[in-house]
Amino acid sequence: MAFPALVIAEKDLRQRIRDRSAIILGVVAPLVIAALMSLAFSGTETIHLTLGVVNSDHGAAAAGLVDALRSPALEDLVTVVPETSEAAASAAVRAGHTGAAMVIPPGFTASISGARPLPLTTLTNVNNAPAAQITSSIAQSFVAQVNADRLSVALAVAGGRSPAAASAALAATRPTLPVQTVERAFGAKELKTASYYAPAMAIFFLLFTVSFTSRSFFVDRDQGMLERILAAPVRPISVLLGKVLSAFVFGVASLGIIIAVTTLAFGADWGDPLAAASLSLAMVLAVTVTTALVIVVARTQRQAEGISSFVIFGLALLGGNFVFVSVTPSIMQRLALLTPNGWALRGYTDLATTGGGLAVAVVPIAAILAYTVAAAAVVAVLAPRVLER
Amino acid sequence: MSVLTILAVSVRRVLRDRLSLFFIVVMPIMVILIIGASVRGFSTFRVGVVESGSGTAGRQLTEMLSSTPGIDVRRFPTAGALETAVRRSTVQAGLVLPAGMDQAIEGHGEVKVGLVAEPANPTQQAAATAMQSVLARYAGQVQAARFATEQAGGEFGSTMVRAGQLATTVPAVAVVSRQAGTRLTTLPEGFSYSAPTMLVLFVFLNAVIGSALIITNRRLGLYERMLAGPVTSGAVVAGEALGFVAIALAQAMLIIAIGALAFGVSWGDPLAAAALVGVWALVGAGAGMLAGTLFSTPEQATAIGPALGIAFAMLGGCMWPLSIVGPTMRLVGHFTPHAWAVDAWTRLLAQHGTIASITPQLLVLAAFATGFLSLATWRLRRRLV
Repeated sequence: MAFPALVIAEKDLRQRIRDRSAIILGVVAPLVIAALMSLAFSGTETIHLTLGVVNSDHGAAAAGLVDALRSPALEDLVTVVPETSEAAASAAVRAGHTGAAMVIPPGFTASISGARPLPLTTLTNVNNAPAAQITSSIAQSFVAQVNADRLSVALAVAGGRSPAAASAALAATRPTLPVQTVERAFGAKELKTASYYAPAMAIFFLLFTVSFTSRSFFVDRDQGMLERILAAPVRPISVLLGKVLSAFVFGVASLGIIIAVTTLAFGADWGDPLAAASLSLAMVLAVTVTTALVIVVARTQRQAEGISSFVIFGLALLGGNFVFVSVTPSIMQRLALLTPNGWALRGYTDLATTGGGLAVAVVPIAAILAYTVAAAAVVAVLAPRVLER
Repeated sequence: MSVLTILAVSVRRVLRDRLSLFFIVVMPIMVILIIGASVRGFSTFRVGVVESGSGTAGRQLTEMLSSTPGIDVRRFPTAGALETAVRRSTVQAGLVLPAGMDQAIEGHGEVKVGLVAEPANPTQQAAATAMQSVLARYAGQVQAARFATEQAGGEFGSTMVRAGQLATTVPAVAVVSRQAGTRLTTLPEGFSYSAPTMLVLFVFLNAVIGSALIITNRRLGLYERMLAGPVTSGAVVAGEALGFVAIALAQAMLIIAIGALAFGVSWGDPLAAAALVGVWALVGAGAGMLAGTLFSTPEQATAIGPALGIAFAMLGGCMWPLSIVGPTMRLVGHFTPHAWAVDAWTRLLAQHGTIASITPQLLVLAAFATGFLSLATWRLRRRLV
């Protein structure tokens, strides 16, 4: 009995593995849920628009618009489907065969240089708002040059030029839209759903360790197990250490298996192995110390269960384990950074999207360790009092 | 009489337990709040702008972006901050306006605005397209102001203002949007999505977790002791089932009340909503009773219960609309009762349906409830007799 804590940890782990519910929480549940999320979102992660186009004009402007829709710039975003009539295009949109449609009216090319330009019509479905938005944006961008020319003449006329002179000057100078975008490529990798929800679910179920371990401490105590252990030459702190150590080993194993399986089976990107391992270890450490904290704060098994549930679901809800934190209001994003799991998720996101190494994860790891040290300090203060009880 | 006594005991045990109350009352409200705040904005693009040093021109352009429907603009202090936000998907694309933009638009050359979006990422490209269409409209005004100052003289700044005013009155090639499909097939965004789906999720989840009570009773030999009195096994089963139904109904009613009062959710036709809640309470009760006969320890109920409840909810469209998943996953989803309940709520909340329009869903849910309850009764009575 050189290291009683190790013996207790080993006994606890064996018990845990025998109880199938621990395996279910630690391995099966997070994998099943990560798999469900990957299946649900596979193929829907990126926006792609199937656009019906009714060309009843066949003039130069209409041809220009169709060419623009088929241009390499929009290749990844839009697939053009020719439609014969507005009714057919409308039916296809209603049935969801196309995301939206664009109708170029007869006489469009001729009308845009006249006094009463004909409008382009987009046909949209209320269930496909992104398609409606993209279609309208593309159409707006296309008509922008025409409208800019019309506005130029009107503005010059308002300033005192004659309409004929203004039109002639415009035809002579042929201005183009003077504000353009230049792409700033910044080398970010896309954040796949699996790369967010695999860590999110792994950590959510890792948090249940708090409940299991603290509960088992009080079950042992209530059964008089602790007194019997303490009859041997074992210091009370060894019992707590043993419990907490088993939680740590269980957490490392659970997270390790989930990282391996989600990487191989669902293509989750956990980032640089060394950085991901360090971040994961920090997170398991934080959960382990939280477990010790619940043990020293609670007085009964029931209290331990209650406090654990509150801690598990409080941390998971705030930290962003249930919802993709980036789409939440900014107040939620700030609140997430008050939790160690929120920092861990940010760390995994940064690792997956930058492709960077340990340097990227330093701040999240430091934040998690700061939480861990603070929690450990409280445990150190309270532990003697609790263990003598 | 004994049925009611057993019912009262079960309900009292739950109400006395602060932990169960936490899961029945506090958790659903917190989750509705968080998911309701997050599941919105599918129809808007979140974009970022770095405006610093771009002066009046930058403010005008940002203002134009903000007032465009379907675009939600956030400001960032530096290009680096914007790039980080795009990388983390906080915004889907962004514009970095150049310093000295005021002088640049007044000059002759092309004004270059930085676009933060990865070319290979279609979602970011879609958001970029939305921003570019607004930028093109702005560029049109700049072109017109440059042309008019050249042709007719005058000060550029005031001509630019005039261009903004004229842009709304000069006949232009318009883009008219017409709705071809108006029948909303998903729940509305925000709390109208999260409240009904979380009602479905939590009533079921709590019932499955609540099965721990039956397991404890079984282990304590409570049922045997009850049967020693003048109580039939049927009464024991009925009492337990009614306990589950009562708690499920109470929780559903609470969520409906809070949804309506605090989150402004309109629950649709009252009769249809009441029927749906009633049937769903039976489904939950059946699932809880069945779990109570299938699990062997209370630990299994508290461990497997949440995992099962969340997995079914995901499959059934409580965490995201089933309209975004593929046909196979949608089919698989409809093997859970959850999908049918969410379909019914969608008809009530999004399509103003009545009890007639959700009859198919009610019948399927009733079949689920009957199946669960009879299986649970059979298993429980077999142990009791």
